[in-house]
Amino acid sequence: MIELKQVTKTYKMGEEIVYALNNVTLQIKEGEFVAVMGPSGSGKSTLANIVGGLDKPDAGQIIVSGQDLSKTNDNFLSDYRNKTIGFVFQTFNLQPGFTALENVMLPLIFSKKAAGERKQKAIECLEAVGLGDRMRHKPNQLSGGQRQRVSVARALSNDPQIIIADEPTGNLDTQKGQEIIALLKKLNKERGITLIVITHDSNVAKQADRVVLIQDGRIK
Amino acid sequence: MKFLDYIKIAYKNLTRQKARTILTIIAIVIGSMSVIIMLSLVISAKRVLVAQLESIGAFTLVTVTGSSDMQGGGGLITAGNGDPSEGKKLDDAILDEFKSKDHVVAATPVVSVWAKSMKLEGQDKKTWANVMGYEVDAGVFDIPILAGQGLKKGNMDKIVVGTDTLRTFGYADKPNDVIGKNMILLLDGGSSPDWGPLPQKPPQNADKDWWDTQSKNPKEIKAEIVGVSGGMEASQNYISMDWARKLQTQVRWEYDNEAQKKAQEENKGKDQKFNNMSFQVLVKEDMIKEKGYGSIILKIDNTKNVVAVGEEIKKQGYGVSTAEDMLEEVSKIFTVLGLLAGVIGGISLFVAAIGIINTMIMATYERTREIGVMRACGARRKTVRRLFTFEAALLGFMGGCVGLLVSYGLAKIGNVIAGKIAVAQSLPVSGFIIFPIWLILGVVAFTTLIGLLAGLYPAHRAARLDPVEALRYE
Repeated sequence: MIELKQVTKTYKMGEEIVYALNNVTLQIKEGEFVAVMGPSGSGKSTLANIVGGLDKPDAGQIIVSGQDLSKTNDNFLSDYRNKTIGFVFQTFNLQPGFTALENVMLPLIFSKKAAGERKQKAIECLEAVGLGDRMRHKPNQLSGGQRQRVSVARALSNDPQIIIADEPTGNLDTQKGQEIIALLKKLNKERGITLIVITHDSNVAKQADRVVLIQDGRIK
Repeated sequence: MKFLDYIKIAYKNLTRQKARTILTIIAIVIGSMSVIIMLSLVISAKRVLVAQLESIGAFTLVTVTGSSDMQGGGGLITAGNGDPSEGKKLDDAILDEFKSKDHVVAATPVVSVWAKSMKLEGQDKKTWANVMGYEVDAGVFDIPILAGQGLKKGNMDKIVVGTDTLRTFGYADKPNDVIGKNMILLLDGGSSPDWGPLPQKPPQNADKDWWDTQSKNPKEIKAEIVGVSGGMEASQNYISMDWARKLQTQVRWEYDNEAQKKAQEENKGKDQKFNNMSFQVLVKEDMIKEKGYGSIILKIDNTKNVVAVGEEIKKQGYGVSTAEDMLEEVSKIFTVLGLLAGVIGGISLFVAAIGIINTMIMATYERTREIGVMRACGARRKTVRRLFTFEAALLGFMGGCVGLLVSYGLAKIGNVIAGKIAVAQSLPVSGFIIFPIWLILGVVAFTTLIGLLAGLYPAHRAARLDPVEALRYE
């Protein structure tokens, strides 16, 4: 269960204070697939960052599995991101020098898993996203769709409770984008992973259990 | 994150920008090489010196001179570099006294022969004559012999020459060829040793001109070269004490005042043509007996007793020098050289450190997004900081290792060259440049530490990046 209680987050843009999130209250149930939509600069990404433990609210509470993240420190949030969250980014954000396998192993390295266990887990994840035959390839040897699959596998590697995908189809054509959404949805259904997808694409949003619309930092 | 993972990832990151990594490493290589080569040269030079001193058993020797203000200066095996008449007289009684001291196993007196110059028979070239007489069978030290043979007790007109002498006369490369040739010692005309023809008896009418001619004709004394010494006192030539004593004994005609008086009384009023000169007699004067030895060299039973014996003799008012003293003197020079080497090496390593900082700061910019991704994947600030620090330390480590390898190669070449020089200069040394294990470990540890320190600031920058900002960074 993810609970945002009156979360406010502001940024300074020059002299002006911009409300990225303005008194947002929201609940996302465990295993739910939520699409977050809204125009650019509406605060979608800030919402994702706060839920993902990358950012902290200026005011309000963000409670995940009973823990108020707004009251924790950087090390706690790092471990939270490592164990509870899987991120999928629009631009894939794979480490260029690493193979697909090594990219997937990265979160496992941070969680100090033994080398053998790490590799086994990473292979499982790559197989789950259909890239069992591309493990030794580096990102520049993979297509956009394949890269995004690698980043989904990376997000999966630590068995997260929540996957946060920020515009996961933004850099893919419609067909590849649909494949990724289908993959995420499958993981959501089969593994019960809570899925939060931030998107512009109404076709993507359509497939979610619920759509949250955000505008000027407020939920509509 | 585990230690090995840090190394693996750091290595992987470094190999991504090969050119930049190599250039950064080159700077460290140069820095570490200058440290290694200079320090190893200093260490090696010292080692060679110690080895030479050891080869003649110098660490068990104590050199005693008459005056206490004459220590340390003139090398260990020396006849003293001052007038033996200064300070206390070193005579046979003293020699016996020293010999009877505890821990003293042997002693030899040493004198230097008052020859002005010397030349090789058949050559016109003259060189400064540094000829030293010592008791050959005293068992105090053995002159290392490069060619021919050593001196024997009682050897007269035999000389063992040093390598400087060889060089002067063009025999540097062929020491064996000089054996059997004659060295001619040129003595001041005024002095006439108890060797060779007796001085001419002054004629009845001897005047100033006659004396002048006498002193203008230098005395020539022949010495057969029986051996060439390979020791470090390359300018020193050696003869036996027996012969040295002869050469140091002056023979001259003197008025016999007693006889003259007597004759004058007896012949009073008879023979007015009576001349003083008729009453001259030949007088021998043993200068060693008069003035004492130049120095006395003692052999001590054990190196650890050397200082004690030295101190004891020093208290008696003599000048004492030991190999330790000499080494201390030389150590001071080497310490200064070592410091200088360290400073030069240090400067180049400092420059290399700036290179590392530069490289790593650039890396933080380039990899800002990657840092963001790592943070999103659960890396703590500490993890990021360590990762960059390790990367910088790895640069230092690799630079140190490569520097060591290159220096090792250079030393190998240097040793071949030094070996040739050593043979030419007849130094009993091989493997001139050495790398003691502490130097190897020390340098690699040092460059690694420098890398690590240089990495601290870039790593701090990387670690404090806001993950949200970092992920958004283009």
